[in-house]
Amino acid sequence: MSDETFMGVPREKIPWFPTIDYSKCDFCMECDKFCPHQVYERREGEVKLVVAHPEHCVVFCRACAKTCGPDALSFPSKPETIELIKRLREEGNDG
Amino acid sequence: MAERFAVLPCNGLDKAVGPLAREIALAVVEACQGELVCPVLFSNLPARYTKALELPLIVIDGCGTRCATKLAVGHDLKVTRKLQVAEALKLMGESAGDSLAPDAERLALCRLLTERLLSAPEEGTALDSEAAFAEPVEYATVTHDKFIFRIPRQGYLFNENHCWARVAGSRARVGISDYMQQELGDLTFCELPEVGTEVGQFDAVGSVESVKAVSDIISPVSGRVVAVNPAVAETPEIINEDPYVHGWVAELELHDLESDRALLLEGEAYLALVRQKAADYRP
Repeated sequence: MSDETFMGVPREKIPWFPTIDYSKCDFCMECDKFCPHQVYERREGEVKLVVAHPEHCVVFCRACAKTCGPDALSFPSKPETIELIKRLREEGNDG
Repeated sequence: MAERFAVLPCNGLDKAVGPLAREIALAVVEACQGELVCPVLFSNLPARYTKALELPLIVIDGCGTRCATKLAVGHDLKVTRKLQVAEALKLMGESAGDSLAPDAERLALCRLLTERLLSAPEEGTALDSEAAFAEPVEYATVTHDKFIFRIPRQGYLFNENHCWARVAGSRARVGISDYMQQELGDLTFCELPEVGTEVGQFDAVGSVESVKAVSDIISPVSGRVVAVNPAVAETPEIINEDPYVHGWVAELELHDLESDRALLLEGEAYLALVRQKAADYRP
Protein backbone atom coordinates (compact mmCIF):
# COMPACT_ATOMS: atom_id res chain seq x y z
CA MET A 1 0.00 0.00 0.00
CA SER A 2 1.41 3.36 -0.96
CA ASP A 3 -0.54 5.19 1.75
CA GLU A 4 1.18 3.33 4.61
CA THR A 5 2.65 5.70 7.17
CA PHE A 6 4.84 5.23 10.22
CA MET A 7 4.67 7.91 12.90
CA GLY A 8 2.99 10.20 10.42
CA VAL A 9 5.69 9.81 7.77
CA PRO A 10 5.11 7.97 4.48
CA ARG A 11 6.74 4.58 4.96
CA GLU A 12 8.67 4.75 1.70
CA LYS A 13 10.57 7.79 2.98
CA ILE A 14 12.07 5.82 5.88
CA PRO A 15 14.97 3.67 4.67
CA TRP A 16 14.62 0.99 7.37
CA PHE A 17 15.07 -2.54 6.06
CA PRO A 18 17.65 -5.34 6.23
CA THR A 19 20.65 -5.54 3.94
CA ILE A 20 21.98 -9.00 3.11
CA ASP A 21 25.75 -9.42 3.12
CA TYR A 22 26.04 -12.00 0.36
CA SER A 23 29.64 -12.79 1.34
CA LYS A 24 28.23 -14.25 4.57
CA CYS A 25 24.71 -15.41 3.64
CA ASP A 26 24.42 -19.18 3.22
CA PHE A 27 20.79 -19.05 2.00
CA CYS A 28 19.50 -21.07 4.93
CA MET A 29 16.26 -19.02 4.57
CA GLU A 30 15.75 -18.75 8.33
CA CYS A 31 15.07 -14.99 8.04
CA ASP A 32 12.54 -15.54 5.28
CA LYS A 33 10.82 -18.32 7.25
CA PHE A 34 10.82 -16.07 10.29
CA CYS A 35 9.61 -12.75 8.88
CA PRO A 36 5.81 -12.56 8.87
CA HIS A 37 5.81 -9.47 6.64
CA GLN A 38 7.14 -10.91 3.35
CA VAL A 39 10.16 -8.61 3.28
CA TYR A 40 12.27 -11.32 1.67
CA GLU A 41 11.67 -13.28 -1.51
CA ARG A 42 13.35 -16.38 -2.79
CA ARG A 43 14.86 -16.49 -6.27
CA GLU A 44 16.15 -19.09 -8.67
CA GLY A 45 19.85 -18.92 -9.55
CA GLU A 46 22.96 -18.01 -7.63
CA VAL A 47 21.42 -15.35 -5.38
CA LYS A 48 18.60 -17.33 -3.83
CA LEU A 49 17.21 -14.63 -1.52
CA VAL A 50 16.58 -10.91 -1.96
CA VAL A 51 15.05 -8.06 0.05
CA ALA A 52 12.11 -7.75 -2.31
CA HIS A 53 9.75 -5.62 -0.19
CA PRO A 54 11.78 -3.27 2.02
CA GLU A 55 8.66 -1.18 2.61
CA HIS A 56 7.03 -4.12 4.46
CA CYS A 57 9.79 -4.10 7.07
CA VAL A 58 8.64 -2.90 10.50
CA VAL A 59 10.59 0.24 11.39
CA PHE A 60 12.97 -0.44 14.33
CA CYS A 61 12.40 -4.21 14.16
CA ARG A 62 15.61 -6.21 13.74
CA ALA A 63 14.25 -9.51 14.92
CA CYS A 64 15.11 -11.43 11.72
CA ALA A 65 18.81 -10.65 12.30
CA LYS A 66 18.65 -12.78 15.43
CA THR A 67 17.67 -15.82 13.39
CA CYS A 68 20.71 -15.38 11.16
CA GLY A 69 23.39 -17.93 12.02
CA PRO A 70 26.12 -16.40 9.80
CA ASP A 71 25.26 -12.82 10.94
CA ALA A 72 24.70 -11.63 7.38
CA LEU A 73 21.90 -9.12 8.05
CA SER A 74 22.40 -5.46 8.91
CA PHE A 75 20.08 -2.51 9.56
CA PRO A 76 20.52 1.26 9.37
CA SER A 77 21.50 3.30 12.42
CA LYS A 78 18.58 3.77 14.78
CA PRO A 79 19.50 7.28 16.04
CA GLU A 80 19.90 8.49 12.44
CA THR A 81 16.54 6.99 11.55
CA ILE A 82 14.88 8.73 14.50
CA GLU A 83 16.44 12.04 13.46
CA LEU A 84 15.21 11.55 9.92
CA ILE A 85 11.69 10.79 11.11
CA LYS A 86 11.68 13.89 13.31
CA ARG A 87 12.85 16.03 10.39
CA LEU A 88 10.28 14.60 7.99
CA ARG A 89 7.54 15.15 10.55
CA GLU A 90 8.52 18.81 10.91
CA GLU A 91 8.64 19.23 7.14
CA GLY A 92 5.22 17.59 6.94
CA ASN A 93 3.85 20.04 9.50
CA ASP A 94 5.31 23.03 7.68
CA GLY A 95 4.06 21.96 4.28
CA MET B 1 22.52 -26.24 47.68
CA ALA B 2 21.93 -24.39 44.43
CA GLU B 3 18.86 -25.09 42.31
CA ARG B 4 19.37 -28.01 39.91
CA PHE B 5 18.70 -27.65 36.19
CA ALA B 6 18.46 -29.79 33.09
CA VAL B 7 20.57 -28.26 30.31
CA LEU B 8 19.78 -28.63 26.61
CA PRO B 9 22.67 -27.12 24.61
CA CYS B 10 23.48 -26.44 20.99
CA ASN B 11 25.30 -29.36 19.40
CA GLY B 12 27.07 -27.28 16.77
CA LEU B 13 30.47 -28.84 16.26
CA ASP B 14 31.33 -27.11 13.00
CA LYS B 15 31.13 -23.49 14.16
CA ALA B 16 33.32 -21.77 16.73
CA VAL B 17 30.31 -20.86 18.84
CA GLY B 18 29.17 -24.51 19.22
CA PRO B 19 32.08 -25.67 21.41
CA LEU B 20 31.52 -22.56 23.58
CA ALA B 21 27.89 -23.57 24.11
CA ARG B 22 29.18 -27.03 25.05
CA GLU B 23 31.67 -25.60 27.57
CA ILE B 24 28.95 -23.52 29.21
CA ALA B 25 26.54 -26.46 29.31
CA LEU B 26 29.11 -28.72 30.97
CA ALA B 27 30.03 -26.02 33.50
CA VAL B 28 26.38 -25.37 34.38
CA VAL B 29 25.66 -29.07 34.84
CA GLU B 30 28.70 -29.48 37.03
CA ALA B 31 28.02 -26.40 39.13
CA CYS B 32 24.40 -27.28 39.90
CA GLN B 33 24.81 -31.07 39.71
CA GLY B 34 22.19 -30.99 37.01
CA GLU B 35 21.43 -33.18 34.02
CA LEU B 36 22.80 -32.75 30.51
CA VAL B 37 20.34 -33.39 27.67
CA CYS B 38 22.10 -34.35 24.44
CA PRO B 39 20.12 -32.74 21.62
CA VAL B 40 20.94 -35.51 19.18
CA LEU B 41 19.95 -38.37 21.44
CA PHE B 42 16.95 -36.40 22.67
CA SER B 43 15.73 -35.96 19.06
CA ASN B 44 15.92 -39.70 18.52
CA LEU B 45 14.95 -41.02 21.91
CA PRO B 46 13.17 -38.37 23.98
CA ALA B 47 12.06 -40.92 26.58
CA ARG B 48 15.69 -41.28 27.63
CA TYR B 49 15.41 -37.83 29.24
CA THR B 50 11.96 -37.96 30.82
CA LYS B 51 13.43 -38.02 34.30
CA ALA B 52 16.06 -35.33 33.63
CA LEU B 53 13.43 -33.02 32.18
CA GLU B 54 11.50 -32.96 35.41
CA LEU B 55 14.11 -30.37 36.42
CA PRO B 56 13.69 -26.75 35.30
CA LEU B 57 15.26 -26.42 31.85
CA ILE B 58 18.06 -24.18 30.62
CA VAL B 59 18.45 -23.96 26.84
CA ILE B 60 21.79 -22.85 25.42
CA ASP B 61 21.77 -21.87 21.75
CA GLY B 62 25.03 -21.27 19.95
CA CYS B 63 23.97 -19.07 17.06
CA GLY B 64 20.83 -17.44 15.73
CA THR B 65 19.60 -20.65 14.14
CA ARG B 66 18.44 -21.55 17.66
CA CYS B 67 18.37 -25.34 17.08
CA ALA B 68 18.18 -26.08 20.82
CA THR B 69 15.27 -23.69 21.35
CA LYS B 70 13.43 -25.12 18.36
CA LEU B 71 13.97 -28.63 19.67
CA ALA B 72 12.60 -27.62 23.08
CA VAL B 73 9.58 -25.87 21.58
CA GLY B 74 8.95 -28.81 19.25
CA HIS B 75 8.75 -31.11 22.26
CA ASP B 76 6.60 -28.72 24.30
CA LEU B 77 9.30 -28.27 26.91
CA LYS B 78 9.01 -25.34 29.26
CA VAL B 79 12.17 -23.24 29.11
CA THR B 80 13.12 -21.60 32.40
CA ARG B 81 16.26 -19.77 31.35
CA LYS B 82 18.10 -19.44 28.11
CA LEU B 83 21.24 -18.14 26.53
CA GLN B 84 22.24 -17.48 22.95
CA VAL B 85 26.00 -17.50 23.02
CA ALA B 86 26.73 -15.53 19.82
CA GLU B 87 24.37 -12.76 20.88
CA ALA B 88 25.68 -12.65 24.46
CA LEU B 89 29.25 -12.36 23.16
CA LYS B 90 28.24 -9.59 20.77
CA LEU B 91 26.69 -7.62 23.63
CA MET B 92 30.00 -7.91 25.47
CA GLY B 93 31.87 -6.67 22.39
CA GLU B 94 33.38 -10.11 21.89
CA SER B 95 33.03 -12.83 19.27
CA ALA B 96 33.42 -16.58 19.08
CA GLY B 97 36.42 -16.27 16.76
CA ASP B 98 37.24 -18.79 14.06
CA SER B 99 38.79 -21.65 15.95
CA LEU B 100 36.81 -24.75 16.88
CA ALA B 101 39.04 -25.15 19.94
CA PRO B 102 38.28 -22.36 22.43
CA ASP B 103 41.34 -20.43 23.65
CA ALA B 104 41.93 -19.34 27.27
CA GLU B 105 40.25 -15.98 26.71
CA ARG B 106 37.09 -17.57 25.31
CA LEU B 107 37.02 -20.14 28.11
CA ALA B 108 37.08 -17.22 30.57
CA LEU B 109 34.09 -15.68 28.76
CA CYS B 110 32.34 -19.05 29.02
CA ARG B 111 32.88 -19.05 32.78
CA LEU B 112 31.41 -15.56 33.00
CA LEU B 113 28.34 -16.56 30.96
CA THR B 114 27.96 -19.68 33.12
CA GLU B 115 27.90 -17.60 36.28
CA ARG B 116 25.36 -15.23 34.81
CA LEU B 117 23.15 -18.08 33.72
CA LEU B 118 23.22 -19.62 37.18
CA SER B 119 22.65 -16.44 39.16
CA ALA B 120 18.95 -15.92 39.73
CA PRO B 121 17.44 -13.13 37.63
CA GLU B 122 17.75 -9.86 39.52
CA GLU B 123 14.49 -8.43 40.62
CA GLY B 124 15.82 -4.92 41.14
CA THR B 125 13.97 -2.61 43.42
CA ALA B 126 10.40 -2.73 42.27
CA LEU B 127 9.22 -2.33 45.85
CA ASP B 128 8.12 1.32 45.97
CA SER B 129 6.86 0.95 42.46
CA GLU B 130 4.19 -1.61 43.25
CA ALA B 131 2.01 1.07 44.80
CA ALA B 132 2.75 3.60 42.05
CA PHE B 133 1.70 1.16 39.34
CA ALA B 134 -1.28 -0.22 41.21
CA GLU B 135 -3.83 2.34 39.99
CA PRO B 136 -6.72 0.54 38.30
CA VAL B 137 -6.78 0.82 34.52
CA GLU B 138 -9.82 1.76 32.50
CA TYR B 139 -9.95 0.33 28.99
CA ALA B 140 -11.39 1.30 25.65
CA THR B 141 -11.98 -1.52 23.16
CA VAL B 142 -11.80 -2.03 19.43
CA THR B 143 -13.85 -4.94 18.14
CA HIS B 144 -13.31 -6.68 14.83
CA ASP B 145 -15.12 -9.95 14.08
CA LYS B 146 -14.61 -12.05 17.17
CA PHE B 147 -11.50 -10.14 18.18
CA ILE B 148 -11.54 -7.55 20.92
CA PHE B 149 -8.51 -5.35 21.46
CA ARG B 150 -8.20 -3.44 24.71
CA ILE B 151 -6.38 -0.13 25.04
CA PRO B 152 -5.95 1.75 28.33
CA ARG B 153 -7.66 5.11 28.07
CA GLN B 154 -5.16 7.01 30.19
CA GLY B 155 -1.72 6.84 31.73
CA TYR B 156 -0.06 4.88 28.92
CA LEU B 157 2.09 5.99 26.00
CA PHE B 158 2.48 3.84 22.90
CA ASN B 159 4.80 3.57 19.94
CA GLU B 160 3.73 2.28 16.55
CA ASN B 161 5.59 -0.95 17.32
CA HIS B 162 2.68 -1.82 19.64
CA CYS B 163 4.63 -1.44 22.85
CA TRP B 164 3.58 0.70 25.80
CA ALA B 165 5.11 2.68 28.63
CA ARG B 166 3.24 3.45 31.82
CA VAL B 167 4.80 6.39 33.61
CA ALA B 168 4.83 6.93 37.38
CA GLY B 169 7.08 9.72 38.62
CA SER B 170 10.57 9.33 37.19
CA ARG B 171 9.99 5.73 36.22
CA ALA B 172 8.05 3.81 33.61
CA ARG B 173 7.11 0.22 33.10
CA VAL B 174 7.10 -1.12 29.57
CA GLY B 175 5.36 -4.01 27.89
CA ILE B 176 3.50 -5.07 24.75
CA SER B 177 -0.03 -4.12 23.76
CA ASP B 178 -3.08 -6.33 23.64
CA TYR B 179 -3.01 -6.06 19.83
CA MET B 180 0.56 -7.35 19.69
CA GLN B 181 -0.02 -10.25 22.07
CA GLN B 182 -3.04 -11.38 20.04
CA GLU B 183 -1.12 -11.07 16.81
CA LEU B 184 1.68 -13.25 18.20
CA GLY B 185 -0.61 -15.78 19.82
CA ASP B 186 0.30 -17.97 22.80
CA LEU B 187 3.65 -16.82 24.13
CA THR B 188 6.21 -19.50 24.95
CA PHE B 189 9.10 -17.32 26.10
CA CYS B 190 9.81 -13.82 27.28
CA GLU B 191 13.39 -12.64 27.35
CA LEU B 192 14.01 -9.94 29.93
CA PRO B 193 16.69 -7.26 29.66
CA GLU B 194 19.40 -7.19 32.30
CA VAL B 195 18.96 -4.83 35.20
CA GLY B 196 21.34 -1.91 34.68
CA THR B 197 21.07 -1.91 30.86
CA GLU B 198 20.86 1.53 29.28
CA VAL B 199 18.02 1.55 26.77
CA GLY B 200 17.56 4.17 24.06
CA GLN B 201 14.12 5.08 22.77
CA PHE B 202 13.09 2.41 20.22
CA ASP B 203 15.83 0.01 21.39
CA ALA B 204 14.82 -3.56 22.08
CA VAL B 205 14.11 -4.09 25.76
CA GLY B 206 13.74 -7.86 25.59
CA SER B 207 11.76 -10.07 23.27
CA VAL B 208 8.73 -12.28 23.22
CA GLU B 209 8.44 -15.55 21.44
CA SER B 210 5.30 -17.43 20.44
CA VAL B 211 4.75 -20.55 18.41
CA LYS B 212 4.34 -18.20 15.44
CA ALA B 213 7.19 -15.72 15.74
CA VAL B 214 9.81 -13.94 17.82
CA SER B 215 9.34 -10.23 18.27
CA ASP B 216 11.51 -7.58 19.85
CA ILE B 217 9.93 -5.45 22.53
CA ILE B 218 10.70 -1.94 21.25
CA SER B 219 10.95 0.44 24.18
CA PRO B 220 8.83 3.58 23.77
CA VAL B 221 11.06 5.41 26.26
CA SER B 222 14.74 5.82 27.01
CA GLY B 223 16.15 4.97 30.43
CA ARG B 224 18.05 2.57 32.61
CA VAL B 225 16.50 -0.78 33.46
CA VAL B 226 15.99 -0.78 37.24
CA ALA B 227 13.74 -3.80 37.55
CA VAL B 228 12.40 -6.66 35.49
CA ASN B 229 9.32 -8.80 35.94
CA PRO B 230 10.48 -12.35 36.70
CA ALA B 231 6.88 -13.57 36.62
CA VAL B 232 6.60 -13.12 32.83
CA ALA B 233 9.88 -14.95 32.26
CA GLU B 234 8.58 -17.82 34.36
CA THR B 235 5.03 -17.75 32.93
CA PRO B 236 4.87 -15.82 29.63
CA GLU B 237 1.13 -16.52 29.38
CA ILE B 238 0.66 -13.70 31.89
CA ILE B 239 1.35 -11.32 29.00
CA ASN B 240 -1.41 -12.96 26.95
CA GLU B 241 -3.83 -12.70 29.83
CA ASP B 242 -3.00 -9.24 31.17
CA PRO B 243 -0.61 -7.38 28.85
CA TYR B 244 -0.97 -3.96 30.46
CA VAL B 245 -0.66 -4.59 34.19
CA HIS B 246 0.76 -7.93 35.38
CA GLY B 247 2.37 -8.47 31.98
CA TRP B 248 4.88 -5.63 32.36
CA VAL B 249 8.36 -6.61 31.22
CA ALA B 250 10.81 -4.03 32.55
CA GLU B 251 10.88 -0.92 34.69
CA LEU B 252 13.05 1.98 33.58
CA GLU B 253 14.41 5.04 35.35
CA LEU B 254 13.52 7.58 32.67
CA HIS B 255 16.16 9.70 30.92
CA ASP B 256 14.19 12.21 28.90
CA LEU B 257 10.48 11.56 28.86
CA GLU B 258 9.58 14.93 27.37
CA SER B 259 11.78 14.36 24.35
CA ASP B 260 10.59 10.74 24.01
CA ARG B 261 6.97 11.81 24.25
CA ALA B 262 7.18 13.78 20.99
CA LEU B 263 7.37 10.47 19.11
CA LEU B 264 4.71 8.57 21.07
CA LEU B 265 0.95 8.16 20.96
CA GLU B 266 -1.51 8.75 23.80
CA GLY B 267 -4.27 6.20 24.37
CA GLU B 268 -6.75 7.94 22.07
CA ALA B 269 -4.32 8.13 19.12
CA TYR B 270 -3.19 4.53 19.62
CA LEU B 271 -6.84 3.49 19.69
CA ALA B 272 -7.24 5.07 16.24
CA LEU B 273 -4.17 3.17 14.99
CA VAL B 274 -5.49 -0.16 16.31
CA ARG B 275 -8.88 0.55 14.76
CA GLN B 276 -7.17 1.04 11.41
CA LYS B 277 -5.04 -2.12 11.83
CA ALA B 278 -7.99 -4.17 13.03
CA ALA B 279 -9.89 -3.41 9.84
CA ASP B 280 -7.60 -5.77 7.92
CA TYR B 281 -6.62 -7.99 10.83
CA ARG B 282 -5.98 -11.61 10.00
CA PRO B 283 -4.52 -13.61 12.86
